[in-house]
Amino acid sequence: MASTACFVIVSKNDIPIYEAEVGSAPKKEDLAYHHQFILHAALDVVQDLAWTTNAMFLRSVDRFNDLVVSVYVTAGHTRFMLLHDSRSEDGIKSFFQEVHELYIKIFLNPLYLPGSRIASSHFDTKVRALARKYL
Amino acid sequence: MEPGLSIESGSAIRVAVLPVGGPIPPQCLRDYAALVAAHARVDLASLRPYYSEHQKSPFSHQPWDTGCLRLKFVLGGCVPSPWEDFQSSRKVLAVVGICHLPSSPDLARVAADFLDASRTYPSALASRCFAFCPTDAQLLEQRKDGIIMFPPSDQKSLELHMLTMIQDLAASLLMEFEKWVLRAESTGTILKTPLDSQSSLGSEEVHTLGVPSILTSVIKAKKRRLGRAQKIIGDYCLLAGSPADANAHYTTAIDLARLTGDVFWHAGALEGSVCALVVDRMMGQSDPVLEDEVKYRYYTIIQLYRRATLQDNAQRVSPVSFELEAALKLARYLCRREVAKEVSDLLMGAADGAKALIDASDRLILYIEIARLFGSLGYKRKAAFFSRQVAQLYLQQDNAYAAMSAMQVLTMTTNAYHVQSRKTSKPDHASLKELGASNSNADKAHPQSVVSLFESQWSTLQMVVLREILMSSIRAADPLTSWSAAARLLRSFYPLITPAGQSGLASSLSNSADRLPWGTRCADPCLPFIRLHSLPFHPSQRDIVKRNPHKKEWWIGAGPSGPFIYTPFTKGGTSGTSKQEINWIVGEPVQVMIELANPCSFDLVVESIYLSVHSGNFDAFPVTVNLPPNTSKLVLLSGIPTKVGQVSIPGCIVHSFGVITEHLFKEVDSLLLGAAQGLVLSDPFRCCGSSKFKSVNFPSISIVPPLPLLVANVVGGDGSILLYEGEIRDVLITLTNAGTVPVEEANIALSGKNQDSVISIAHSTWKSALPIKPGGEVTFKVTLRAWHLSLADLEADGSRSPANPRRIAREGINPFLNIHYAGPSAAKGNGEVSLPPGRRLAVPLNICVVQGMCLVRARLLSMEIPARFSEAHLRPVSGKDNTSDESNMLHNDISLLKIDPYKGSWGLRLLELELFNPTDVVFDVDVSVHLDGTSVPEDNTADVACHKTRIDRDYSARVLIPLEHFKLPVLDASFFVKENGSDELLGSQAATIAEKNAKAELNASISNLISKIKVRWHSGRNSSGELNIKDAIQAALQASILDILLPDPLTFSFRLAKDAKPVNDSNHSTDENVGPSAGENVLRCKDPISAHKMTHMEVQIRNNTKEIIQMNLSISCKDVAGENCFEENSATVLWAGVLNDIQLEVPPLQEVVHPFSVYFLVPGDYSLQSSSVIIDATDVLRARAKAESPDEPILCRGSPFHIHVVGTE
Repeated sequence: MASTACFVIVSKNDIPIYEAEVGSAPKKEDLAYHHQFILHAALDVVQDLAWTTNAMFLRSVDRFNDLVVSVYVTAGHTRFMLLHDSRSEDGIKSFFQEVHELYIKIFLNPLYLPGSRIASSHFDTKVRALARKYL
Repeated sequence: MEPGLSIESGSAIRVAVLPVGGPIPPQCLRDYAALVAAHARVDLASLRPYYSEHQKSPFSHQPWDTGCLRLKFVLGGCVPSPWEDFQSSRKVLAVVGICHLPSSPDLARVAADFLDASRTYPSALASRCFAFCPTDAQLLEQRKDGIIMFPPSDQKSLELHMLTMIQDLAASLLMEFEKWVLRAESTGTILKTPLDSQSSLGSEEVHTLGVPSILTSVIKAKKRRLGRAQKIIGDYCLLAGSPADANAHYTTAIDLARLTGDVFWHAGALEGSVCALVVDRMMGQSDPVLEDEVKYRYYTIIQLYRRATLQDNAQRVSPVSFELEAALKLARYLCRREVAKEVSDLLMGAADGAKALIDASDRLILYIEIARLFGSLGYKRKAAFFSRQVAQLYLQQDNAYAAMSAMQVLTMTTNAYHVQSRKTSKPDHASLKELGASNSNADKAHPQSVVSLFESQWSTLQMVVLREILMSSIRAADPLTSWSAAARLLRSFYPLITPAGQSGLASSLSNSADRLPWGTRCADPCLPFIRLHSLPFHPSQRDIVKRNPHKKEWWIGAGPSGPFIYTPFTKGGTSGTSKQEINWIVGEPVQVMIELANPCSFDLVVESIYLSVHSGNFDAFPVTVNLPPNTSKLVLLSGIPTKVGQVSIPGCIVHSFGVITEHLFKEVDSLLLGAAQGLVLSDPFRCCGSSKFKSVNFPSISIVPPLPLLVANVVGGDGSILLYEGEIRDVLITLTNAGTVPVEEANIALSGKNQDSVISIAHSTWKSALPIKPGGEVTFKVTLRAWHLSLADLEADGSRSPANPRRIAREGINPFLNIHYAGPSAAKGNGEVSLPPGRRLAVPLNICVVQGMCLVRARLLSMEIPARFSEAHLRPVSGKDNTSDESNMLHNDISLLKIDPYKGSWGLRLLELELFNPTDVVFDVDVSVHLDGTSVPEDNTADVACHKTRIDRDYSARVLIPLEHFKLPVLDASFFVKENGSDELLGSQAATIAEKNAKAELNASISNLISKIKVRWHSGRNSSGELNIKDAIQAALQASILDILLPDPLTFSFRLAKDAKPVNDSNHSTDENVGPSAGENVLRCKDPISAHKMTHMEVQIRNNTKEIIQMNLSISCKDVAGENCFEENSATVLWAGVLNDIQLEVPPLQEVVHPFSVYFLVPGDYSLQSSSVIIDATDVLRARAKAESPDEPILCRGSPFHIHVVGTE
C-alpha cells in the first residue's frame, strides 16, 4: 500500500531545518507543499501541547482529512514532525527516538550553528533508512 | 450554513437592508448602511413611546428595563433558507430600503421599487424605506407612499433621526411578534423542514397504516406538531427579547420532542434553550457553572444532530450543517486560550465534517468560520491554513469576485507565513529594523539573535502563498496586488525560481504595471537589491574649514599642508568614534554611491532611481540604470540639499517595472547579514560577482547654510598645461564664486611639490577684487616655469614620441594653489558674531612638462678650422675673417685669423652645443654671453635677435658659443693640484689650505662662466624659455676648463713703436711697463704700414706666472706664402735688432718689451709671430704645456700679428 509521510524538523525559532518526503506514495509537487502547509499549521497546536506533558513524544496532535501529524519535542524545543496516514504509534515513536539520536550527533558538531539548516547528507540517508525501517 | 453564527445569534432579528431606486454611489451606500447598522441593539426601554399594547402580551416575563432587541442587518438581503421554519432567526423579519434621492428623483418609482423588493421577503413583518439627501421639492412632496425622508443635516442629527426610525421599526416588530405568537398559540401552525418533505406527517401515511397505529401516530404527530410550535414560539420569545418566556416554551418543546423522538427538533429546541440561557445571563461575566452547562448541553445538541443526520442519511438534504454549526457555536462560545485544546478539537472535528457537506459554499463558510475561530484563539498558522483552504475554494469558482475574495483571504494569511506586504507590517518592520540596528552595533551579536531575524523560513509555503496571491489577483484584475506579490516572490525567492520562472514573473510585473496608472507606488520593493556603497566626497565638501574666531589668519594650519589630501595625523584624537559627521551645504550638489544587484536572469531596467529622503530638505536627482542578468553595478546618485537641518536617507526610490517603490538600505543589510550566517538563501551581491559584504552605516548628515563656493579654472582649458622644459609662461586662473554668498576674505598659498616652478602669483589682482560677489569672478596671473625633466621621467615617457597625446601629468608632482576663503560673518540675534566655516580650494596647476629641445652634446671645439666672426658677434675678438661675406664686408676691419693647428685660436674658444628638437614645433635658439655679469648693452640684444638659430622638428642643429676673456690673470700652481694630485708635487700640509682656496676660486669662476652663458629659445608665438644646459656645459668644459680659464704662461703682443711712444723713454727694455689691459685691443693695426720705410715695432712679453721665467725668444715674420722673411736670403724684408735667440728674463707678473725695426721691401700681407723656449721650466709650466717628458723643451708661442704693407705710391 502506498503511504504518504512527510518528516520535518523545526527549530525552536520555527524554521524548518530539515525536510524529507519519506512516504512510498508517488511524489507530487503540489502535495508536497500541501503536507508542509499542514505541518506548519500544526505548530500552533504543538506550541500549546508541548507544555502540558512531560513526554517528548506528543503522539498525534493534529489532523487534516486523513492525514495525521505526530510530533516529538526535544528538550531544546526542536520539534520533529511527521505527517502520515494512520499507522502504528509504536513505529513512529521508535522512529522519532532514533532520529533524535541522529539529531544530537548533528547538534554536537561544533561547526553546526544551532538553528540553521541541516545539510548533512549522511543525516539524510540515515533518516530515510529509519523511515523505511519503522514506517 | 451561515457565516458568523454564535450561540446568541438565535436571538437576533434578521433585517434585510436593500438599496432601492436609482444607483447609489458606493461611498454613500456604505455610509447609509453604517448609519442603519449602528443600531444593532435596541433597548426595550426606549421602545416604550412607539409601543402600544393592543392585547395582552404573550411575553409575560419581558424585561422592559434591562432587555433589548437585537437586530441583524443584512445588506443586500439574502436568499430565503429552506430551514427558516426551523429557526426563526433565519427568517428575514423586516425589510429596510435605502434610497439615494439625488440619483432617483421620482419618488413614486422608488416606492414601487421598494414594494417589489420587499415582496421577495414574504416572511417580513415590517418594512421601512429610508430616503436620503432629498431635494427641497422632494421634501415638499406628499408622503403618501411611506418613504421616510432624511433631510440633509449634520451627522449627529442624522444619527438621531435614524435611531428614532429604528426604534419605531423595532417597536412595530415587537408588536408583530406578539400578534404572531398569539395567533400561533391559538391556531397552531404547520412547521416543516426539508427533512419532512416526503414523510411522516402527510395524510397518505394515515391511510396506509392500521387504526391503532394510525391512532398512535396521529397522537404522536400532534404532539410532535405541538412541540415544534412550542419551539418556534420560543424562538419568537427570544427575538422579542424575553429569554425567560422562551425558556419556558423550549422546555415544553424539548419534552415533547424527546417524547415523540423528533430528534432534529429536540436538538433545535435545546439549542434555543441554551441561547435563552446565555442571553439571560449575558450580563454576568464568564460564569464557570454556566459554561459547564452550556458545554454539556451543546455536546448533547451535537450528538442529537448527529443522530438526526444518521437517521436521515438516505435523504437528499442532510442536516449535517446544523451539527457543524453547533460545533462552531460552541467553539465560538468557548474561544479562549485556556480551553484552546478543547476548541481546537471541536474545530478539527468540524473540519473533518467538511467532507460531508455537499454544497461548496457551505464548505466555504465552514472553513471561513474555522479560520476565524482559530484566528481569535491566537492560532495564527492554523487560521492561515484554513484561510488558504477558503481561498482555494474561492479559486475553484470561476468569477472575478471569488478571485478577489480569494486574494483578500490570502492576503490575510501572509502574516502567518511571513510574506506580508510591507504596507501592512509597519510595526513588525520597525522591530526588524531595531534588531538589525542592534546587530550592526554589536557587530557580532549572539548568533541566536541573528537566527531569529529570519524567523519562519518556510520558503516553500511562502512561495506557494505568494504564487496563489499572484494568480488570484491576476484573475481578480487587481494589478497592484499582483505586482506586489510578484515583486515579493521575485525579491525573496529568486534563487529558488528557475530562469524561465523569473522571466515569467518579470513579464507579469510589467503586465500588471501596464494596467496601473503611471506613477503608482507600491510598498513592496522588487529588484534590484540596493545597498549603500560609500559616500564619495564632493571636493567642495571636504574643504570646509572651521574658522577660529580668535585667529586672524585662520587658514594657517587648517588644511593639510602636505601633498596628501588625507593626512592620517589630522583629527587623530577625534576619530575614535567611527561615526562620521558629514556636512552638506544648501544648494551644493552631493553624491552617494550605491550598489545595485540584479541576481535574476533577465535584463532589468531601472527607469529611475534616486535617494529617498524623508526629512524633505533634499532634492534628489533620478538616474536610469540598465542591469544585465546577474550583474551588479555601482551607481552615483546625486542631489541638492535645500534646507538647513538633519537629513536622513533610509533608502532609494526606485521606478522599475512601471511602479515606484522604496528600497531601504537596512533591509538589504540584514539580508546580507543573514547571508553571511548562512541563514538566507543567497547573497544577491555575491552571486553577481560583487565584492564581499561590508556594512556601511549611513553617517549622520547635517545640512549647513550656504557658504561661498569658489570655482577655479585655468583660462584656456582645465587640462594640463603643456610646457616644454624650461619654458616660462603666464597662466591665467579665473576664480568664480559659484555660491550664493560673497567671498569676503581669501588667502592663496602654494603647496605641493615643485613649488619653485611657480615664479610669481599676482596677489594684488585678486586682492583688489575682494569681495567677490556671487557670480563674480576674478582672473589673476601665475607665472610658471617648467622644471627640468629627470631621467626617470623621460624613461617613463616611454615612446618619447612628442606626438604622443597620452601625456598624463603625473599625480603628485604638481604644485597647487591652496586658496582659503570665507564668507561674511553673520551677526547672531544676541549680538554675537557667528563665524560660518571657511573653505579651502585646492587648484592643482597641472603642469605637464614635455621634453623640449634636448642637448645632444656640448663640446669645446678644437679650433682646427678657421672661424669667422664679425665685429657684431664679438667685440673683443682679436682676429677678423676677411673672406667675402656680405654682412661682414660692412665692417672695414676684417682680418684673417690665423689658426694654430696645434693649439687652437688664440684667446678664443668655441663651445659647440648640439641641440636636437624632438618635438613637433620649431624652435628658435639664440645664445648670449653676458659678460662681466653686467647687463648686456642694448644694441647687443638687438643683434642677438637677428641671429637666431632655427631648429626644425626632428632636426638637430649646432650652436656655437664663443668663450673669450675668461682667462684668469695669473697662472698659479694651485690650479694644477687636481691634475697633479698623485704626484704630491705641492702636497705639503701648509699648501693645502691655499690650494683649497684656489680651488674654490676656480670653481666659482667656472660657475660664473657657465652662468653667463644663456641659451634662450622661442617657439611659436608665445612660448619661450631658457635651455637649462648648465650641467651639460659643465661636463663639456670639465676636460678643457683649464685651457679656457688659465692664461698662457707668456703672452706676446706686437705693436708699432710709434704707438708706444711713452715706452721709449725707458732705458732698459725689461721694465717696459705699458702692459695692455686685458680688454684692450693690442693687436689692432688699422693703419697699414707703408713699404720702403723703416717701421719700429716692439714685442711685449708678459709673464703670467708667479715665477721668473727665463727664455729664449725668437720672432718670425711670414708672408702670405708662409715663407719666413727673417732669413738671411730673404729679399722681401730687412730688419734691424735681434730677432733670434734673445735671452730674456721676465719677472713674475711683469712685462718686458723687446724692440726691433723692420723694413718691408714688398707690399703685401705679413704676419709676425713670436715664440720662446722657456729655459728651466718649472713643473707648473710643464703642466700647463702638458709636457710629457721632463726634458722636453717648453715652447711658448704668441698669436700671429697681421700686418698689411702698402706700397709707397
